[in-house]
This record gives sequence, C-alpha cells and structure tokens, in this order.
Amino acid sequence: MKVGFVGHPPNDIIEKYRSEELIDLDNDLGQVEEKSDLYLPKISCSVIKRVFNNSLAFRPQKIIFDVGEGKCDSGRFLSWILKDLFNIDIIETRNQNRKGSGTIICDSRLPLREKFDLILNNIIDNKDYELEREPHPSAGFWSVPCWDTRIFDLFPEGTRIFGWTRCFENGTPDDLEIECYVEKDIPTVFYAQTFCSKNLLAKNLARVYRGLYVDCDGRLTTSVKAQIEAFLYLRGTSG
Amino acid sequence: MTVFADFGSTWSKIIDGSVKIVKTKEVPGEIIADFACGHNAEKRSKRYVNELIALSEGGLRLINEKDFLLVDVGSRDIKYVLYRDGRFVETGWNQECGASQGFAIELLEMYYNIDCNRLEPPENGYPVTCGLIGISRIFDEIIKTGDEENALAKFVKGIAMNVYHFTGKPEKMYLSGGLCENRLFIESIPCEVVPLGRFVLVEGLKEIYKKGFC
Repeated sequence: MKVGFVGHPPNDIIEKYRSEELIDLDNDLGQVEEKSDLYLPKISCSVIKRVFNNSLAFRPQKIIFDVGEGKCDSGRFLSWILKDLFNIDIIETRNQNRKGSGTIICDSRLPLREKFDLILNNIIDNKDYELEREPHPSAGFWSVPCWDTRIFDLFPEGTRIFGWTRCFENGTPDDLEIECYVEKDIPTVFYAQTFCSKNLLAKNLARVYRGLYVDCDGRLTTSVKAQIEAFLYLRGTSG
Repeated sequence: MTVFADFGSTWSKIIDGSVKIVKTKEVPGEIIADFACGHNAEKRSKRYVNELIALSEGGLRLINEKDFLLVDVGSRDIKYVLYRDGRFVETGWNQECGASQGFAIELLEMYYNIDCNRLEPPENGYPVTCGLIGISRIFDEIIKTGDEENALAKFVKGIAMNVYHFTGKPEKMYLSGGLCENRLFIESIPCEVVPLGRFVLVEGLKEIYKKGFC
C-alpha cells in the first residue's frame, strides 16, 4: 500500500506504516502533472503546490498529514481540500514532540545537498548517523527544505543548517525556539519560499543576525543566486 | 591590454584602451572581455564576475567613506550594497519587481521627445513597482489630462520612490548607472544623492583584477 506523508508526522504513527511504501509528498518526486494551477490560488507557496500535485499524481491510499504548528495553515487547509474535495484518506496529526533526537547532520561537515538528502530521507530510511561535527562552519543556512535544490550548491561544505530543517532533523517540527536558533558569528542566509509565512521569521532573524534574507518562488532566480554568492563572498566565506 | 566590460541589458560600458558606452545589441560579437559582469557576461568574457561583487568593489574604490549605501539602477533592475564601518552589511537585488523601470524611462523620453532634465520633480508620483505597469499608468494620465510632461515626471518620481523604499529609506545614497545623468530622477529621491556615473561596476572589475580574481 502506498502511504504518503506531509511535514514531519509523529514517529509512532510513521512506525505503524513502516512496512508500507512510504512517500514523502513534500519532496521532488520527479515530473508530475501540475494540476495546482486549476485548484490553488497563484499565491500558494511552491511546496504546497508540490504536495497537491504529488498527492494527485501518486494517489496514495492514505496520507499522514501533519496539520499542526510544525507545518502551516496552508498545509492544514490543503489537508481538508484533499480529504473533502478529492476523497483521499487523510490521517491528520499534530507533532508536538519535545524529545529531540539531535542535529548531528545539520552540524556535520557534509556538503549542504547531502545534509538535506539525509535529513529528508530519514523518515523513510531511518538511521542513526555518526558524523564528525564541523566546529567552525564558514556559512549558515536557515530554511525550510527548498523547492529548487540547486541553491545548496552555492554553499561551502560544512554549512550549518538552522531553521525548520533543524527542527525536522531533531524530530521537533513545531519547536519555535529551535527554529529561531542561530549562531551569531556565522554568516547566514535566511531563506523562505515566497508566500510562506516563515518569511516573517526569515526577514527578522536576518536583520538581528546581520544575515541575508531572500525568498524565492519555486525556481532559483538569477538575482537570488547572485545575492547569495555576493553575500558569502563579501562576508569572507569561501564557496 | 586588459578589457573590462559591464554588459548591461541595454547599454554596455567597456574599457579596452578607450572608454566606451555602446548599445548592448550593437556590441561586436568578437569582443571578449577579460573581466566582465552583467547580461550574457559568462559567454562574453574570460572571467565572469558577480554584479553585486563588482558593484561592491567599485564602491570601495570610489567612495571615501566607511559607511555608505551604493545603489545601481539599471535598465531592468535595482541593486544595492550597504557598508558600515568599512564592513559589508547587506545587499539587495530587485530584478523582478524593479522590472524594466530604467528602460521604461528611456523609452518614454524617446517616444514623447521629452528631456527629463528640463522637468521639475512633482510632489507625488505613481506607485510604480514595475516599468510595464507604470507605462499603462502614464497612458491613462495622458488620456485624462493631455499633459505628457507631467505624466512622465510622475512616473519618474514613482520609480525614484520605489528605489528609495527598496533601499530602506536612507538619508544618503551613492548612485550608479545611467540614471546618474537624469536630474529629474535624482531630485525625485527624497534624500541626499551622490551620482557616481555609469562606470562604477567597471571600476569594481578593475579592482578585482588588481587584487587577483575572486
């Protein structure tokens, strides 16, 4: 049975379906038909559109949908749309876990792309990692998982991950304290998908920590790419 | 001879022994700069430099202050760098919402045969965040009033205010780009504006060359 999930549902619910074919509907699952333009407003964030498109394209028998503060209101409403308007069997969850499992991947020396791959796959392919910690990261990246993963290649190895992705690895997706945790001496890029309410945090954290705030609607634009490259160069970070 | 070029969307600024400003569409295909930034610069140069880095280095070369905001208003975008105590603080590049504002001014001046330098800044402008939307506002105004000069002045004021807001309502800004030659635009920005001309990015490229490529 195909079981989709959205956000970071509680581990005990995921465990119930561990033997099934789990699909992370937030992720890039290859090219699928884009029906979101027909049903969702243009000002929906790219990740919400992706969840919608993936859900209709893969038609899982069930979707475990985290609709709590660890996801977002758009996610909660999308869950209702998929359940009531598209007759998909939805299991709604609210992950309020506070027993953190650590952030060994976020803090490791790995390249950013590899870090994101390990973190996002860790629900499906659950493993404990032993990774060397990067003691002096030359850059930080505060973000949710990005729609366009080419952004990862702009950062040096060992870039420290902050924001919701850090909460995700820790298994505490609605922990605002961890989401706002940033190390002040690390030049950090604060990134949010356009139309995501996390832009409020990103802009203000960037102001407080002298970082770079950028938002992007789907594809990485030339100007966002150039701003990140220039910020890292001008703050003395080697790429 | 080392060739430096800032290939803008509509105008290219080139130093190759002589100093040139030419329409980008008329730049000979055989010109390959040693150091270049801008439109298609990856294909037209041996060393491509990020425009914000060129702007930043140009600012450090030309501005003798530790605190400065340098804004480049191009044909189709707005870019800035902010320095405090001689250290880089912030950068911004508004490519989407600043779309075609500089180019729109140039087109409208030509079409209506109006020299912006003769116009006085109006008290209020249109709320312009995009050149194309701004042009439609101008047409509406001209239909209503028949006053082409006033409509263009309001458009320029709107763009000036957009630049001012985008850069955080500064008390002072250094200005780079073709609009340094537009008195109406400069006087429409409600803060002190120091025009540095059209070769700021090229000066930045020269600095990068001197320091060793970034």
